[in-house]
Amino acid sequence: MRARLLPNRIRETMAYILQQLLSKSAALYPDKMAVWAREKSLTYRELDERSNQLAHLLRQNGLKKGDRVGLYFPKAVESIVCMFAVLKAGGVYVPLDPQAPTDRIAYIISNCGIRILLTNYEKRQGLDAGTLQALDLCVLTDQTPKASNGAHVIPWTMLAEFPTMEPTAVELTEIDLAYILYTSGSTGRPKGVMLSHQNALTFVEWCAATFQVRSEDRLSNHAPLHFDLSVFDVYNAIEAGATVYLVTEDMALFPTTLAGFIESKQITIWYSVPSALILLLLHANLKPEKLPHLRTILFAGEVFPMKYLRLLAELLPAVELYNLYGPTETNVCTYFRVERERLAGMDKLPIGKACANTEVFAVNDQDEVVTVPGETGELFVRGPAVTYGYWADAEKTQKMVVPNRFQRHFEEKMYRTGDLVMLGEDGYYYFLGRRDSMIKSRGYRIELGEIESALLSHPGVREAAAVAIPDELVGNRIKAIVAPHDSQSLKSVDLQHYCSLRIPKYMIPEIIEFCPDLPKTSTGKIDRVQLVRSAMPVAS
Amino acid sequence: MTSAGNQEVGQPSAVIRDQIREFVRDSLASPKGIASFTDTESLTENGVVDSLGIFRLVSFLEDTFGTRISDEEITAQNLSSIELIEQLVVSKQQK
Repeated sequence: MRARLLPNRIRETMAYILQQLLSKSAALYPDKMAVWAREKSLTYRELDERSNQLAHLLRQNGLKKGDRVGLYFPKAVESIVCMFAVLKAGGVYVPLDPQAPTDRIAYIISNCGIRILLTNYEKRQGLDAGTLQALDLCVLTDQTPKASNGAHVIPWTMLAEFPTMEPTAVELTEIDLAYILYTSGSTGRPKGVMLSHQNALTFVEWCAATFQVRSEDRLSNHAPLHFDLSVFDVYNAIEAGATVYLVTEDMALFPTTLAGFIESKQITIWYSVPSALILLLLHANLKPEKLPHLRTILFAGEVFPMKYLRLLAELLPAVELYNLYGPTETNVCTYFRVERERLAGMDKLPIGKACANTEVFAVNDQDEVVTVPGETGELFVRGPAVTYGYWADAEKTQKMVVPNRFQRHFEEKMYRTGDLVMLGEDGYYYFLGRRDSMIKSRGYRIELGEIESALLSHPGVREAAAVAIPDELVGNRIKAIVAPHDSQSLKSVDLQHYCSLRIPKYMIPEIIEFCPDLPKTSTGKIDRVQLVRSAMPVAS
Repeated sequence: MTSAGNQEVGQPSAVIRDQIREFVRDSLASPKGIASFTDTESLTENGVVDSLGIFRLVSFLEDTFGTRISDEEITAQNLSSIELIEQLVVSKQQK
């Protein structure tokens, strides 16, 4: 309501909480398409009003400031309504992977104390009785009003009974949490990265300025919503009054379908993991004349193999290409605009330099900041984009979000990425590898320890190790080596099935090898170096 | 183009379907921990087929049935269930 009456004042005010981006654009472009998915779309007015209605509904049903609300259904226009509604109601949304095993979903729901779930009939049906018991309310985004065991269930049609004007403001500041993104945890359970409005807006504002997102733009959203790449797609589209087109899970699998989507929706800005772009390159018969609107391609999440990047740069000579780097804990912290004239002579792509309002530096083994080109160190990040830490995990938080010892005058925190980098002659940072056993596959962060702990929880498994086999297309494939208690009875398909109930599909080892004992180092630890070496020839 | 593989042209479609089902079960579904699926179920929605699985499936179909599947034919309409895959193979063998 305020937005409608005072568009000029809203326009002049700098957003400090994410929902203000929508209020501003809804006032400026009420009839423009804001979001499209599965042949459905919403204008800015509709998105604003529907999220207001859902916010009222949530408040009236007990949502209090700071409450966590789960979003658990396949991507749809309702996803964006839900995100804004939770924020407008003063809550914190938690996007849950609709394809993850329900055991993992149940853990997350209990870990961050979700009492309200925005879901659909089918996904809700899949939850166990204990989880349903712990919920106070489920709002179903499809129309089915039945099924009311456990939590109180409200169908989407009920939204119509709530006012379309913005709910009276909950007092929020930029340091309040906006969302929590769960990522793989080394101790066997996922960990929730807490992100505030300020964390997100620091990134969104940098993107708006750097990529000059305009209201005529059409952005794709390829990444799942529980993946931080989607923060750009959704919030920068809304910030600019542009349109975001959600790529649904099934569409993403078929390269020619995806290329047809980019063409027919006249996508201007594309953002995804490199592996999605490589599949498009190899199997979609991309033609630059069919993509005249595409102006910018952003990629992040894993290393883009140079030979494919050169191919992409040649195929789409007019498109600007950017390599973005950053763990979920900082969103994006460095970037590199691909310089085509340098590509032929480059053997490695830099992760670049720090984004605005962010500082990055490498710290070497002598605990000094790296200043000399060619030197390596662990990358640290400071600034308002850095997370507070992990939900309900003070120990892990203290390890990763640490006091900045280089700051002598006041207390502040910085994030240690665990990534080893080199400072290049060109002044850009180059990614070298990890300090720990985290790997990437299709851009997903995977802690090998989480896979091992799933395997070890099987009663037939005595020892287990997971190793990564580098792969050009997807970054890494996963192999496990298992020493069973009784060599007769355990089969790899059984173990894979067992894993599928505990960890997401992209984490399940593709190959499981059995051996009587795992190789050990002289100190009795599992010899990972030997395991990795012997795993290499298996790569297909 | 149709008789290059190790299968006879005009093979009963039930046999083709069995071979497809067996490959999908052993090479794509089992490693992901999926024990059962129906012939009409969407293999992309139930997570049996992922972005790499699609291309393994295509290679299998090309090698086994001696047919060539173009990038344009790699779509949900042709490949998202056992039934649809069988129809694709049969239609290609009839050409």
